[in-house]
Amino acid sequence: MAKTMQSLPSAQGNIGSAQGSSGSLWYQIRQKRLPFHFTLWAYILVTLFPLVWLLMSSFKTNREITVNTWALPKSFNFDNYRAAWESANIGGYAFNSLYITIVSCLLTLALASATSFAIARMKFKALNKAVYQFILLGLLVPASALFIPLYRLINELHLYNNHWSLILVYCTYALPITVFILHAFMISIPNELEEAGIMDGMSAAGLFVRVILPLSMPSLVTVTILNFIGNWNEYILSQLFISSEAKRTLTTGMATFNDGYRTNFASLSAAVIMSVIPVLIVYLFLQRQIIAGMTAGGVKG
Amino acid sequence: MNKALRNPWIYAAFIAPTLALYLLFFLYPVVQSLYYGFYQWDGITDKIYIGFDNFTRLLHDKVFIKSFWNNMYFLVFSLVINIPLVVLISILISKVNRLRSFYKSAVFVPVVISTSTVAILFGVLYNYESGMINQVLRSIGLDSWAQEWLSDPKLAMLSILIANAWQNIGFFIVLCLAAILNIPREIVEAANIDGATSWRETRLITLPLIRPVMFVMLLLSVSGTMKVLDIVQIMTNGGPFQSTEVMSTYMLKVGFRSMELGYGSAIGVAMFIIILVMTGILQLISRRREEVQY
Repeated sequence: MAKTMQSLPSAQGNIGSAQGSSGSLWYQIRQKRLPFHFTLWAYILVTLFPLVWLLMSSFKTNREITVNTWALPKSFNFDNYRAAWESANIGGYAFNSLYITIVSCLLTLALASATSFAIARMKFKALNKAVYQFILLGLLVPASALFIPLYRLINELHLYNNHWSLILVYCTYALPITVFILHAFMISIPNELEEAGIMDGMSAAGLFVRVILPLSMPSLVTVTILNFIGNWNEYILSQLFISSEAKRTLTTGMATFNDGYRTNFASLSAAVIMSVIPVLIVYLFLQRQIIAGMTAGGVKG
Repeated sequence: MNKALRNPWIYAAFIAPTLALYLLFFLYPVVQSLYYGFYQWDGITDKIYIGFDNFTRLLHDKVFIKSFWNNMYFLVFSLVINIPLVVLISILISKVNRLRSFYKSAVFVPVVISTSTVAILFGVLYNYESGMINQVLRSIGLDSWAQEWLSDPKLAMLSILIANAWQNIGFFIVLCLAAILNIPREIVEAANIDGATSWRETRLITLPLIRPVMFVMLLLSVSGTMKVLDIVQIMTNGGPFQSTEVMSTYMLKVGFRSMELGYGSAIGVAMFIIILVMTGILQLISRRREEVQY
């Protein structure tokens, strides 16, 4: 595993680098690039069309969806949205998801950055290596193989139907990849800055907070995006650990709504659109960071 | 002079919370999983030690074997359909200069949507009466092709595979594109000066040089398809007639519906071993091949 993992971060840097954009339409034609563009447009159209179709459906009545599938909605009728918002409790679920996601991300960031600092910068050679290897073991075992003992454990700890069950478990399973990325970054920071800090009489904790953490900002952003999206989209654990309606997260809430409204297309479309729109808006603004962050987690597999 | 960085108290304080969480929520469940696997247990009455019985039962359990083959179906689909498509689209994107970052962002859109939403979305698209797929077929005069995509045992698996591909392909495209753009320009230019056509350049330069990323995609496909869960659970929950059952949905049914915690844990252990063996074999094969040198 180690070899493939190391090959990725270096590839990261180049994802964004275009080789200089150039050329008019004529240039593209001369370069015989037009067929490429056509194929790509066709592919993107096919890929994104389901979302457009859903958006159109979300403004129609159920009858219109079946009869006038291809017509644009007659009017921008927000009834479906109102119905979905009220019956699916999307606002409440979204709040739960946001709360769990943010707390868990912050906890992961605090624990993983402290640990990465300790094993990347502090002078305990053998121990550092042992701790690092031990934590990376977590990359090998998929959480999905451990549902049964995890569920028992959550019950024994009296965390069942408590948001902390998800926060702690999300945090734990995010630790290996987060430590992997932060450790790789922190170990590459040159010693000089640290030495200056030591001359000023800083303690290890001071060096961590005032020297290493600020320098590690890019990698902290990467792991936060990676963990944020992972937690926000997580489905099965929140299904297993949360039983009460009011505490559900968005993913499980949507799945429940889906079971109840399978035939009510109009409401279902509106509910899906409502859960997708915020994600797409964030994506619109942070695409580069999100793409880099998520693919950095590709090794998690 | 480096005394600050040798302070054992700070060191302990910095790693202890991480290790504590890790031991409690990761290592302990791993050990428990192995342990439960050797017992017959409903979670309430006393556990009964039965040795390897759960594991031998697995080998004769028709549903488990069916589930395993369905996971393999996911893997084969990924290797035969998804990865070639990924390589094709990535190469096309790498060959254009204009709009490159737009294309990259657009193909990545499905990746940021949660799997549960994708599952619901495709549930809607596959609906018999008013779903998009059947409506498209009807509007081009292929009414007889309209199908009960998710409730026909012959089609349900394929329908899920398509939904899964829709969500995952963008991720692989971005990985693959990065590798292609990473190929040093001098190599490509030298080939162009030598008169290599676009197709020859692709076949003789790009494809061989992106072997490492192909291998990464292969590994990710193996681990991803062997533990696939969310999309199947929401779209069909293994049905109709267990035609789409995969190992993880079966494990959840055994563990939480039939309350056979021992047997369920054994399925979890089996999944873990299958993933480990398959990725291990791939690693061994790749180690024999030399690394790409520019």
